[in-house]
Amino acid sequence: MDDYSLYISDSLNGTIAGIRGIYPEIGLVVSFLLVIFSELFFVKRIKQLPFWITLISLAVVFTLTIKQFAIGDSLTLYSGMIVLQPASVYFKLLFLLSAILFIVFVRNNQQMQQHKKGTGDLYAVLIAVLLGMNCMAMSANLLMVYLSIETVSIGSYIMVGYISGDGKQAEASIKYALFGAACSAIMLYGISLIYSFTGTLNLNADLLEGLNAIPVWSAGLAITLFLVGLGFKMSFVPLHFWSPDVYEGAPTPVTAFLTTGSKIAGFALLWRVLEAFNSSGNAISVYDFQGLIGIVAIVTMLFGNLAAIWQDNIKRMLAYSSIGHTGFLMMALVANTAGFKSLIFYLFIYLLTNVAAFMLVDKVEQESGSVNISTYLGLGKSMPLTFISLLIVLISLTGLPPTSGFVAKFLVFGSALESYKSSGSSLILWMMITGAVTTVVSLFYYFKVPLYAYLRKTESILPREKFDVKLVISLVLTFLVLIFGIFPQVITDLIN
Amino acid sequence: MNLLSILTFLPLIAGIIILVAPSGWQKQFKYITLAVTLVQIAISGYIYFHFDNSLRGVDLINSYQFKEQISWIRLDLGSMGKLQIDYFLGIDGLSVPFLLLTSIIMMVATISSWEIKTNLKGYFALFLLLDTAIIGVFCALDFFLFYIFYELMLLPLYFLIGMWGGVRREYAAIKFFLYTLAGSVFMLLIMVGLYFSVTDPETGNHTFNMVHMMNPANYSGDSIFGSLAQQTLLGIPARLLGFIILFIAFAIKVPIVPLHTWLPDAHVEAPTPVSIILAGILLKVGGYGILRICYGIFPDAAIHTSWWLGLIGVVSIVYGALNALAQKDLKRLIAYSSVSHMGFVLLGTASLTAEGAAGSVMQMISHGFLSAMLFFLVGIVYNRVHDREIANFRGLANIMPQYTAFVMIAFFASLGLPGFSAFIAEAFSLIGAFNSETVNGAIPRWMAIAGSVGILLSAAYFLWTLQRMFFGQTRLMGGEEWRTKLNDLTMREKLALAPLALLALILGVFPSLAFDKINGSVLELIHHVTGK
Repeated sequence: MDDYSLYISDSLNGTIAGIRGIYPEIGLVVSFLLVIFSELFFVKRIKQLPFWITLISLAVVFTLTIKQFAIGDSLTLYSGMIVLQPASVYFKLLFLLSAILFIVFVRNNQQMQQHKKGTGDLYAVLIAVLLGMNCMAMSANLLMVYLSIETVSIGSYIMVGYISGDGKQAEASIKYALFGAACSAIMLYGISLIYSFTGTLNLNADLLEGLNAIPVWSAGLAITLFLVGLGFKMSFVPLHFWSPDVYEGAPTPVTAFLTTGSKIAGFALLWRVLEAFNSSGNAISVYDFQGLIGIVAIVTMLFGNLAAIWQDNIKRMLAYSSIGHTGFLMMALVANTAGFKSLIFYLFIYLLTNVAAFMLVDKVEQESGSVNISTYLGLGKSMPLTFISLLIVLISLTGLPPTSGFVAKFLVFGSALESYKSSGSSLILWMMITGAVTTVVSLFYYFKVPLYAYLRKTESILPREKFDVKLVISLVLTFLVLIFGIFPQVITDLIN
Repeated sequence: MNLLSILTFLPLIAGIIILVAPSGWQKQFKYITLAVTLVQIAISGYIYFHFDNSLRGVDLINSYQFKEQISWIRLDLGSMGKLQIDYFLGIDGLSVPFLLLTSIIMMVATISSWEIKTNLKGYFALFLLLDTAIIGVFCALDFFLFYIFYELMLLPLYFLIGMWGGVRREYAAIKFFLYTLAGSVFMLLIMVGLYFSVTDPETGNHTFNMVHMMNPANYSGDSIFGSLAQQTLLGIPARLLGFIILFIAFAIKVPIVPLHTWLPDAHVEAPTPVSIILAGILLKVGGYGILRICYGIFPDAAIHTSWWLGLIGVVSIVYGALNALAQKDLKRLIAYSSVSHMGFVLLGTASLTAEGAAGSVMQMISHGFLSAMLFFLVGIVYNRVHDREIANFRGLANIMPQYTAFVMIAFFASLGLPGFSAFIAEAFSLIGAFNSETVNGAIPRWMAIAGSVGILLSAAYFLWTLQRMFFGQTRLMGGEEWRTKLNDLTMREKLALAPLALLALILGVFPSLAFDKINGSVLELIHHVTGK
């Protein structure tokens, strides 16, 4: 009996001590409740109350998260369930940023504002998803990994189907849910295998030792199954099948969020896992992570970019291009520690650029009704600011100077080359070559937009550009995309 | 602000002014652009006259002139060291003639832009952005900065061709863009590799400084492009691979056979002012890049590959000329003649002799003026009757005597008549190629002989065209209607053509005006490559 009481006080102490490491997450829980309450009781009187509460609480959580840089190198909490590192703090800031952009986007999206359900619940779901993402970035235990991924997934299913009215949106959300459920089942199976092989769920030296002790094929199978869940979140080939349909069918703000926040969370988790497997002193010898990621990256880059060429629906095109970007970014993951800065920089720029792209696409859709690139005829002239911004954003996605997309691409190439130098693996060289080739390919489909909008003319009457909040936000984002291309130091100085 | 910065960014500022100006000022945009180009001519003229010929530049960082170096990006990349990117402008004898060339050609192109009637705001804003990018390329001494300017040229050109071009403008614009980007993306990889190989001797940081990249002592021992380590990439010596990739990137611009196919399409579809810029300046960016970057940074690989480079040059000369002979469209003919003439640049450079290299720089300048003139002349006919099939015209000399006079000057100058700049340029390139076998064995003699066949062929296609289109009785495809439209030159056109013709003549009679400026740098470059 005495023994147990010792444990209890220990774990109580641990829990209380751990609280200082999870202030942002506590903040998220509180704001989750606040938003639900405001939606339940006050929304009739003040229509936009949930929005403002979400915005303010996200801002508060943002400052709380920034304060976490003070924790030093690494802080293990809750008996090894979560690990707080500067890296996870960067990821958490990116999640928050994408969430803030998301709610602003929703606030300015007619389709969602006019829906009878209201948007209050969506904000609550978003905060729950954010909580899951934060846990993904910090988890050091396979159970934690699973729980956080599930939190994010379930929230995302709701977001995708939130206003499902027509068949396409219903199809998207059911496809997403089915595919996601299958993936997480497979992942759970992998986790259970790992547990049975090693007797531990903590991502630490014990786990590696256990895996190294069993035959290659068994360990390899377990880890591969585990990675399936990650692949679903990041949507790399061959686990990308859901993404074009879902991205096309989901409401545009949700798509913007899925291609940024949710994808970045996948990267955060993969980063955590790789770090745990590589840096625990005795690196894992039974599983060639670099080889696997390298090959997956090459295939993903090729597939995403080549498939994007054939798309006419712009959201679908951006969906495939975001698959391509996933592949490209995996190059930074292979580079490991040297790659971290380039990874964060790229993700940050990608976040700004992609959200701007979707906002502009949404604006075009609302004002002209065009969802297909081939119907953008002549719009470049009738909506000048929108299309100049869209052009700059697409140039940044291609990775051409003087936009920040170029600097990001450049840094990733730099870190890949650096890891080539230290490892001498020709796989990295092939990744770089694929990255270069697919850049040229991507130009081809990104430039279909200016091709139709500027180069082709039409006789029909064109809509006039409305100068609204969405345009202002997109202009600001576009401006940032340009400015960070000329002065990248502003950002990179922050990543230290 | 240094003079070079003003020269570079003046057009950009003017472009932004045009962009934000109310559309009611449409009519003034061309005058703003013209004023900018005239100021540019004044500035580059000032630079030309105050350029110290005794300073040689190339791999000697202290003998660059009008230098401006500002620390731009400093990134601490942890284990990868510190990223050092400078805003670093400077010129030597290799770049100074191109500044003047660019300013003059841009002025001519502006005058030729009078024909543009639609969407003037967009046109002139893009035009001026292109101007900034081109001048920037010739001034940048930091590879990163160079790359940014280099890529920045593509975008305005895509729109200038795509929006104001001919029938197949979409195809031509994207083809041009894809070709060039395919080259430059791989250039980016080499640039990153070079960056990690080179350290700044003063600060110890990795650097993009091109001049530091030229000094073997700045390469760290185990680096990818270090000359000591002899690393291989995918089985090819790394330095050779780096040279080849950079060469291909620039050679697409030059263009060389077989990477030239974008050029006829782009030229034919582009509006006249853009054709003028393309032929007059952009092809020279390729040649300039080969001299400054390929030869400057990988001199060892340049020696090994000179036979192949010479061969590519000869093939371009002969193949381009034969193609020109077969063309039915006047603009396509001139586009192929550009391919042929730019072959001399490669041949002269590959010879690794002072005469050859000086000849190739001279050829770029001379061809810059002459091709601008030729495209302007084609544009004049096309503007009047919207047709440029050679077979549709006959006896133009009777109805357009002044025009014919300018065409004859341009044709004879281009085919290498003594007294014009092209003669000097091609003669020097061929002398270099001829001597090479005895001086350094870089390229065999038969290449010089094959190259001179190209001159013969160019005489054939120019004279034949002259005969078909201008002499004989006047017979026009469009009959009386065309005859009334085909007026002789206007004052504006004469003002644009006269300086070009004059410059071709002056450079032919007093080649030292150009040679004095470029000679020091050419000698230094040859010394840098061959050690002699």
